[in-house]
Amino acid sequence: MTTMRMLTTGIRRRSAVSGSARYSAAGLIKRGITGESWPRAWRDHELKSSYDVVIIGAGVHGLAAAYYLAANHGITNVAVLDKGYVGGGGSGRNTAIVRSNYLTPEGVAFYDRSLTLYNTMAGDLNINVMFSERGHLTLAHTDSALRTMRWRAEVNKLQGIDSNVIGPDEIKALTPSLDTSANTRYPILGALYHPPGGTIRHDAVNWGYARAANALGVQIHQNTEVTDIVVVGGERESGRGGGGRVTGVRTTRGDIATPIVLNATAGWASLIAAMAGVRLPITTHPLQAAVTEPVKVFLPTVVVSGSLHVYVSQTDRGELVFGASVDPFATYDMRGSLDFTEELAGHVLELMPGISKMRLLRQWAGLCDMTPDYSPVMGFTPVEGFLSDVGWGTYGFKAGPVSGEQMAECIATGRTPKLIAPFALERFTAGQLVGEKGAAAVGH
Amino acid sequence: MSRRLPPRAGEVIDRNEPVRFTWNGAEVTGYRRDTIVSALAGAGERIFSRSMKYHRPRGILTADYWDPNCRLQVGDEPNVRAAHRLVDHGMAVSAQNAWPSLDFDVRAANNAVSRFLTAGFYYKTFMKPARLWPAYERVLATFAPGGTVDLDTPHGYYDKRYAHPDVVVAGGGPAGLAAALAAADTGARVMLVEHDHRLGGHLLIGGGGDRAAAAELVSAVTDHPAIEVLLDSTVTGRYDDNWTAIVQRSHPVAVERLIKARAKVLVVAPGLIERPYVFGGNDRPGVMLSGAARRLIELYSIKPGDRAVVLSGNTSGDAAVRSLESAGVQVVRVVDARIGETVVATHGSPKRVEAVELADGTTVDADLLVTAIGWTAPTSLLNMAGDRPVYDEAAARFVPGGRLPDTVLATGGLVGDGSLDELVAHGRATGELAARRAAIVKATLQAATARARPPSEPIPEPPADDRPVLHPAPHPPLFRSASHGIVDYSEDVNSKDLVAAAAEGYDSVELIKRFTTSTMGPEQGKLETVNTVAVLAEARGESIGEVGTTVWRPPFAPITLGALGGRVFEPTRVSSIHAWHEANGMTPILAGQWIRPEHYGDPAAEVLNVRTNVGIIDVTPLGKLDLRGADVPRLLNLLYTNKWMQLPVGGVRYGVMCAEDGVVMDDGVTGRLGDDRYLMTTTSSGEGTVWEWAENWLQTLHPEWDVVITPVTTAFTSINVAGPRSRELLGRLTDVDLSPDAFGYMNVRLGSVAGVDGSIMWRIGFTGELSYELHVPAGHGLTVWEALLDRGADLGVAPFGLEAQRIMRLEKGHFIVGQDTDGLTRMPSTGLEALIRLDKDDFAGKPELAWALDGGDADGAVGPAVPRIVAIQPTDPNLVPAEACQVVRAGTNEIVGRITSSRFSPTLERSICLGQVLPEATAAGTVLTVVLTDGTRTTATVMAHHAHFDPEGARLRV
Amino acid sequence: MLLVPCPHCGPRNAADLRYLGETTVRPDPSSADPDAWRSYLYLRDNPAGWLTETWYCRSGCRRYFTLERHTVTNEFRQSPLPFAKGERS
Repeated sequence: MTTMRMLTTGIRRRSAVSGSARYSAAGLIKRGITGESWPRAWRDHELKSSYDVVIIGAGVHGLAAAYYLAANHGITNVAVLDKGYVGGGGSGRNTAIVRSNYLTPEGVAFYDRSLTLYNTMAGDLNINVMFSERGHLTLAHTDSALRTMRWRAEVNKLQGIDSNVIGPDEIKALTPSLDTSANTRYPILGALYHPPGGTIRHDAVNWGYARAANALGVQIHQNTEVTDIVVVGGERESGRGGGGRVTGVRTTRGDIATPIVLNATAGWASLIAAMAGVRLPITTHPLQAAVTEPVKVFLPTVVVSGSLHVYVSQTDRGELVFGASVDPFATYDMRGSLDFTEELAGHVLELMPGISKMRLLRQWAGLCDMTPDYSPVMGFTPVEGFLSDVGWGTYGFKAGPVSGEQMAECIATGRTPKLIAPFALERFTAGQLVGEKGAAAVGH
Repeated sequence: MSRRLPPRAGEVIDRNEPVRFTWNGAEVTGYRRDTIVSALAGAGERIFSRSMKYHRPRGILTADYWDPNCRLQVGDEPNVRAAHRLVDHGMAVSAQNAWPSLDFDVRAANNAVSRFLTAGFYYKTFMKPARLWPAYERVLATFAPGGTVDLDTPHGYYDKRYAHPDVVVAGGGPAGLAAALAAADTGARVMLVEHDHRLGGHLLIGGGGDRAAAAELVSAVTDHPAIEVLLDSTVTGRYDDNWTAIVQRSHPVAVERLIKARAKVLVVAPGLIERPYVFGGNDRPGVMLSGAARRLIELYSIKPGDRAVVLSGNTSGDAAVRSLESAGVQVVRVVDARIGETVVATHGSPKRVEAVELADGTTVDADLLVTAIGWTAPTSLLNMAGDRPVYDEAAARFVPGGRLPDTVLATGGLVGDGSLDELVAHGRATGELAARRAAIVKATLQAATARARPPSEPIPEPPADDRPVLHPAPHPPLFRSASHGIVDYSEDVNSKDLVAAAAEGYDSVELIKRFTTSTMGPEQGKLETVNTVAVLAEARGESIGEVGTTVWRPPFAPITLGALGGRVFEPTRVSSIHAWHEANGMTPILAGQWIRPEHYGDPAAEVLNVRTNVGIIDVTPLGKLDLRGADVPRLLNLLYTNKWMQLPVGGVRYGVMCAEDGVVMDDGVTGRLGDDRYLMTTTSSGEGTVWEWAENWLQTLHPEWDVVITPVTTAFTSINVAGPRSRELLGRLTDVDLSPDAFGYMNVRLGSVAGVDGSIMWRIGFTGELSYELHVPAGHGLTVWEALLDRGADLGVAPFGLEAQRIMRLEKGHFIVGQDTDGLTRMPSTGLEALIRLDKDDFAGKPELAWALDGGDADGAVGPAVPRIVAIQPTDPNLVPAEACQVVRAGTNEIVGRITSSRFSPTLERSICLGQVLPEATAAGTVLTVVLTDGTRTTATVMAHHAHFDPEGARLRV
Repeated sequence: MLLVPCPHCGPRNAADLRYLGETTVRPDPSSADPDAWRSYLYLRDNPAGWLTETWYCRSGCRRYFTLERHTVTNEFRQSPLPFAKGERS
């Protein structure tokens, strides 16, 4: 499996970061002795008056796109703008689960490409992203859920993905803390087991892409909010993407001329798109997460339960990280709620009754742009020069690397790459939603 | 060696009741009302833990709930805040993260190489070879700092409570006590929540006068009938509209309890949290904050050291000097930070302070260093209410920013400083204001609720906020000395780490927090956020105010998963016949909330009995909606794709409902029972959805229609009597004429069954046999069930379950919505095009269905790639492929469909399936390649009809 | 727990209601073209500001109604009209 991954990574460039700035054990030792500090991971810049490409959103999608534009296509006159700090949005708030066991062949191919990139990321970006391949379990508590797991497993296997349905005994052997008996309210009937799935240190991925992009000449501008997108021609008022083309963006630090703008935001996608006159199939809902105090490590796998709307994993520091489904109503306010932690705790204790004395330490939320078919909106829009990489719902982080790679290709070649063709905005007006809706699960 | 002092006024321990417990296996004795740490300290213990990364020995720092060095394992409970938890008989207390012992910990070797293990070092190494990362991970995991979870811990009793107090006061110090009294005197019902085990706050360690003042306030509060006091409880979250979460840690019965209080007004009076000082050796055992020294002495009568240096920047430091002297500690030097003196380092062994180095160059021999360098305002609850703290330069602390909703008020030290009288006066005024605002909230809520308040009763005018002003007192800005030291004790983050992180570009508060993990430990920033910000500000050459602070997130105090989960109240639903099923050998299956019989031992035999004789099945969970009104046919026309205007009384029709995107949503039969009376059935899982869907159309688009819908699923017990002898059996029990001419297929009649009036009988046929579905008033279900069994014994009547029903419906090719269809299946894919009547005016999903039938819309985008439902029979009649097995193009891995339903048919003695396949493979006779779950491939054939058995439906129509 | 002002029951915990999303205007099914129909099905304004949206009081009066809510502050304004012709969730 590892060999296959390395072959399909594509051309491996020499790492973006070179020389004494490279991270290594030797470097740590040397600087430990001399006391010299490491160079800045990414520099601040003055905002130029024009760029070849402007990417809105310094999360994993935007930063990856910038990196691959520079690394794979030699396009370096790129600005990544963010109204906050690097990785401050969904990229820094998610529960960092990566996997490729999706339902549709096109979904599987897409997410598996990401997993491939994650596997070699530490070396490629010269930063330890702590990719922990620990196995991913999606529990089924009803016949219908078990059937869906079987569906996913069969599709996965045909694509060469390691994925299978296992029964309660095998689940118990993999994860002893789970109650696999028949005594629970919704007994576990089986699970979709995906050994290559696992967790990653999300901040390290964000910083890794930022640092590598910066080293290749990309400019990252924090605290720079886009206030408008300048579109010439077309009918912006129509609200249905009335055409025209992009000529620049306006920001809180000044105006920029550019022919290409990539909307790589999450939580703000509709607002940015509206600036260009594009209407999206998105509603924005908070997704909450929570973490417990650290305890000695006991949970070796990532556990997801669709029926109970909960997912849980344990960090190397020993904290349990939880997530559930999105909040029921749309809002841009990322405050948490008590009912989230209550429902979550209730369901987690059904799965793992032995942890009732663990304490919840902190909860937070991020914003998720939800689409009708649990799939993103990627590629061109009716406005020339305005591209989207949005609509990532609750499954955006794991797709960061492949999205960046594909959007970079899209921008560089002017053509929609095959891997992302199913996610085109036009699919909605064509009435051809992606099959991931076919078995709408919860909690990605 | 005991450090316990002789009895003192103000001590809280009860020396008449010794408490024996163990510490790392050795027996220790404390007193009732000791905390675990005070009992250990009294017995002479000085080291309670080892730090996370470098495993440095750690002693008491704050001697309260937030002490980062005092988290211990108690029995099966990890991470106990042992400087807060009261000691109890028989407790087995142990250190959490030292090996082999606290005294000698091998991981302390890390300390020697600490310069290489700076914050975030792991991002810069362990990258290659990648295959070793799991091994590295296992090593890193052994440094996980917390206690141990015993996975066999029994789930204790936890509970929740709802409360609707007028005013919640968070904090029982002088301001909070005064606020509670004033609010209650102004007519409010008050809930006073105090974090500690007793009311009084900082007055309890303040000396005789303070203690007396506390006693007076506490006594008034305890006596007041309108004030409920919760001790050892914390207001831990404030959510929308003052939905307040309170964690009650001490409860006579529950392990821990969550109280959810919709407070009309929340008063926040948490006092101030003392801040540690950053300097070299500031985590050496023997360095503690002034509050810690005072608590140990005044509350627990413990002598914290023998020779002390006190770094004092405020009155708490001064009070600590007096306290220490009264305890017989030699205060060898008072370093006054108010005149610029300061401390630079401690020296000594890793386990104890032996000397203190001052900024003036002198070094003083001492075993105790007490610091009092300032305060942090815990503005958490205010932040949760929308406020953003503002930095006050003169007071050297963040203070509330003043952007609060009217229903949240702050008082006490959180707002400012003053004499006891000033704090009490501010608290009183706040309590009174809170009560008056609460009355307005109550009146407003009532006015918005029909009939809750006479319209003639006016809502009171909002009172002005004319409270006295409480200013934060000036305080020298003391964060870091001239040396570097620990900023986050739990995460082992040194100020050097913060400086290095800022230099690397992680120079905003959020980035530095994530990179170094400072403030991300179990105290969640209470002791370390401000120092982190201060060091960052220094590194950036900016002021603390310019740098800003991190967002405070709930919960303020941690709460167990048990308390958050509470008790499980998930109902199950059973029919009136359930006890009979249980007594007669059913194997139950969970279907949504319902428990139903899956079978009674042999589903295949059940199938054969139905097809040969007669069987009865309990189908009560079937969704049922009673529809009345002149416009019901219009509603049916709107919801279903077929036509309903001409349904005669007594007639029944089958219909499919689609959503507005044309996707199949539900199906069922609807019958006309009277002129304006109809009964609609839905799938069991769809009952609620269809009802709300129908109401939506009626209320939003056609409020002018005369239709009333009543869900009646549980009003009837539903029994299906199926088989060639069903007519004969039923005929023995009903007054209704069952002859074929009088009661044809797809008809409904009303009458009595087994003496039960008001029964409804349909003649429909999900199983493909002559059958009657009975709906009898629910309470009489068992009567009818038993009567059928009793009167039909000679006819071979036997019960059958869900599994047999599934087999029979599959034999007849009936698709199940949600199993044979999915979230993308539009109706034409089901093969029921004939039921789509485009000549109707309007129905849900009509446009999409029109385009789908057309072979696509104007763009021609929908078309060849749309799968259809077909019946499939495996070539090997004994092979039953698993449901969801994929169908592929021969010789490839390209998916063209899947098996959606699959069973062995006892009737046909072979395997039968339904599936979805692309149009290229739907022609009758097409040979399909099916991939089995073990990866092997087999073939199967597409059938001409969905029904594998009796496709003409002859058996139904007898 | 947000309090939602049901026009019939008064302010209720949000958990007592079901949220249906932006209130949409249903095009005339007999004359709509695919673009218009699918915009109604899928495209949304999703504003960061005042939004007219549909709620269903499922644990109380069981009525559908619209409210105006500010999607950033979560303040409510009562929607002044019952469902206009063609408006639905």
